[in-house]
Amino acid sequence: MLVLFLFAALIPPLAGFQENVNPDVSARFQIFLGTSALVLALWAISYNLMLGYTGMVSFAHAAYYGVGAYTVAILFKRYNVPVIVGLAAAPFVAAAVGLVTGLVAQRAVRLYFSLLTLAISQLLFSLVYQSYDFTGGDNGAAITLPDQLTDYTTLYYFTAAVVGVCLLLMFMIVRSPLGAALLSIRENRQRAAAIGINVKVYELAIYTIASLFAGVAGGLFIFYQQQAYPEMLYWTANAQPVVVSLLGGTTTFLGPAIGAFIYVVLDNTISKQFPYQFDIILGAIVLAVVLAVPGGVSDLPAVFMRLRERFRRGDEAEEAPVESSGDAIRMFDVRKALSSDAIQAVEVHSGKTLLSIEHLSKRFGGLRAVEDVSLEVKQGDRHAIIGPNGAGKSTLFNLLTGQLKPTSGKVIFDGRDITGKPPHVIARTGIGRAFQITTIFPKLTVRQNLQYAMLAHGGYTIRPFGIANRMFRAEAQELAESVGLGAWADLPAGQLSHGDQRAIEIAISLALGSKLVLLDEPTAGMSAYETDKAMELVRRLAAERHLTLLFCEHDMSVVFSTARTVTVMHQGRVLTEGTAEQVRRNPDVQKVYLGELEEEELGA
Amino acid sequence: MTPGQLLLFAVGGLSNAAYLFIVAAGLSLVFGALRVINMAHGSLYMIAAFVTVVIANQVGAGLGFWAGLLVAVAVTGAIGGIIEVLVLRRVYGREHLVQLLGTYAVSLVVAGGVRIVFGANYRTVGSPIPGHIDVGGYSYASYSLFMIAAAIVIAFGVWAMLYRTNLGRNIRAAVADPDLLNATGVDVTRLYTTVFVIGAGLAGLGGAIVAPSQAISSSIDTDVLVLAFAISVIGGLGSIVGSAIGAVIVGMVISFGLVIPATNPYALAFVFIIMTAVLIARPRGLFGRPES
Repeated sequence: MLVLFLFAALIPPLAGFQENVNPDVSARFQIFLGTSALVLALWAISYNLMLGYTGMVSFAHAAYYGVGAYTVAILFKRYNVPVIVGLAAAPFVAAAVGLVTGLVAQRAVRLYFSLLTLAISQLLFSLVYQSYDFTGGDNGAAITLPDQLTDYTTLYYFTAAVVGVCLLLMFMIVRSPLGAALLSIRENRQRAAAIGINVKVYELAIYTIASLFAGVAGGLFIFYQQQAYPEMLYWTANAQPVVVSLLGGTTTFLGPAIGAFIYVVLDNTISKQFPYQFDIILGAIVLAVVLAVPGGVSDLPAVFMRLRERFRRGDEAEEAPVESSGDAIRMFDVRKALSSDAIQAVEVHSGKTLLSIEHLSKRFGGLRAVEDVSLEVKQGDRHAIIGPNGAGKSTLFNLLTGQLKPTSGKVIFDGRDITGKPPHVIARTGIGRAFQITTIFPKLTVRQNLQYAMLAHGGYTIRPFGIANRMFRAEAQELAESVGLGAWADLPAGQLSHGDQRAIEIAISLALGSKLVLLDEPTAGMSAYETDKAMELVRRLAAERHLTLLFCEHDMSVVFSTARTVTVMHQGRVLTEGTAEQVRRNPDVQKVYLGELEEEELGA
Repeated sequence: MTPGQLLLFAVGGLSNAAYLFIVAAGLSLVFGALRVINMAHGSLYMIAAFVTVVIANQVGAGLGFWAGLLVAVAVTGAIGGIIEVLVLRRVYGREHLVQLLGTYAVSLVVAGGVRIVFGANYRTVGSPIPGHIDVGGYSYASYSLFMIAAAIVIAFGVWAMLYRTNLGRNIRAAVADPDLLNATGVDVTRLYTTVFVIGAGLAGLGGAIVAPSQAISSSIDTDVLVLAFAISVIGGLGSIVGSAIGAVIVGMVISFGLVIPATNPYALAFVFIIMTAVLIARPRGLFGRPES
């Protein structure tokens, strides 16, 4: 990083030196190229805030860059505003346009979001292109620089200073709790919402921030080109920051800056001699990066390492999965834990109702997935919902945590009506959830998984300053240890075994301070040994931390060893409810299970 | 606006819609079956237009055009096959950014190649069906009417292919559930190549047909691509009926937008306003089905 800054600072003297040695080289031109590389770096890094940190692909980013340039030009030409003032205004105009258009684009997700940004970009382009009187149409709009900035070396340092400040600000955002929220959205939208992050709001925020910095880049562009033209806004112009980010690597902050310098050098060495071949070479490079080196140039060392490894071992260089299978659960000290009998003896807290479901129904067209379900979950209880496949258990969970909106009925949690609230709001009221398919942040470390949940829970993720990875570090470590994952706190969560990933998911719920934890088939896909240990962990945590559990499960031995209350669902309705013992003896329940799931041994 | 003018502009709109439909149908078909947005679709269109113009100018406008059209479709189909095997097979199932960038890289290579082979200048070719038909005091170019007829024939052809052949049944099954289709013993890999070749061929057909009606340059790839996107999105990606409706809407908006003085400068802007409005009201387009 420091090397890059030094390099940037030394470009003008180096260029001057080169000109002295070899008069064919024009220092002025070299410095001009340096300036354009700086602006491109800023533009690409602002794009990468969306692309690399949040996983959004926008075709409208060039439009905000263009808006920045036109802001300077139009203020100067029509209102005689000094260009420096124009440059100060450019980011705000670009951000305002970005905010409004971003709100529109957000009506769609993923691919359709990208296509909406394409429409927005072309709309803005046509407006600029056709408003001849206001923007100069296809002639573009020109400015004249003040005398102090006409010297190319001064202009270079001026640009470098502005770009430097912007990079610093963006770097602060990236590693702040706000940046942590963005990373978690890129990693797993569903989990991000389940830790209480309002995905749409954060996406809009970063979209606006990115357009703000694109506005600065556009403003600087017109400083060294002295001309804004409508093609800056055309959708294909977005290729430049994308290619540059890709070249340098989207996963590192300064990757795109390296990409920008490579791009400018390539552009001027190749396209001067072979104007048409440049596109082909660029295309080939992009193709090679996409297919072979997804991490870009900054990932090259890792790629070389992998190649060398493969060469040495002479076999397929499969990334060795970290051997952790079930270790967390093995690590957990059984003797220290309360025995399950002891837990059984803990009385349910005074029978106070924590969650109350009233006449809840969900229909998909004609299908009644959940029909008039009413049930109460008492504080401190371990409440199981059982029933054959298609009984409506997962739908019920999705209604409780906001993934689905009920057709009718009410959900009251801890005295608050949470019916039909979005997932991030429900998460913040104190309902944690482990999904049927393990839902964590796979590329973040185990500790970060917990830290980010704590940041979201504490409401810190709106902060664009501070260092996310240093916050709640000790607390997250302690929590990781209490679920037996202390030794793996620094590993990417996705590398752990299935059982350990379930443990992370439960720990995330704990990090959120959830009062009620929903477990959707917590032991699905686990071996018998893993199952026993995992459920012991769940029971111990529930007892120690006064958690209320609501879970659904097919494994009857798990149900009857853990649950105090059991609700049986069948075809979307509640069939019966009672203590584990009552339900076990209920002939209707036996009929439902024997009729539909003969392999399940009741009371095993 | 008199009824005669109205008809004139409507026919103009339909002839826009004609070639745009052919191109968008290919884009939409590929998306429907392969779930890939092909950024190189416009490039295939551009190659076909150049091939047609060159051959037609060499051989002579009448026969030369038809020969050029056939060669162009064959060439684009073949290039499509190469792209599918070399690039797309490696990006199926990866995030759509990777697919966009992969096919975008192909479009860069093609754009550079076209400029080297055909140069950067505008090219034109004489109409293979010269003459015009006069109705109510206005004359209509015969070739425009041919384009409209051709688009209708192609629309029925694509429909018949999808709903009346084994191949079409497999394509529709692949749209619904590729894994299940694979499990029933259909070679999905080959099916994908076939679909992509057909999609590329449609792009080529569009490019060949448009050649006599427009000046051809090395920037028509992105111009047509963005319109094909707009059409597919308005109609619903993956829906052929949607592409037809979308093409008519876009063709008419451009035609009428350009002749009404007040809207003239913003004709294209209207296309994107409609695209935005449709995406907001119906995120999957007018005829699109929700993604599972």
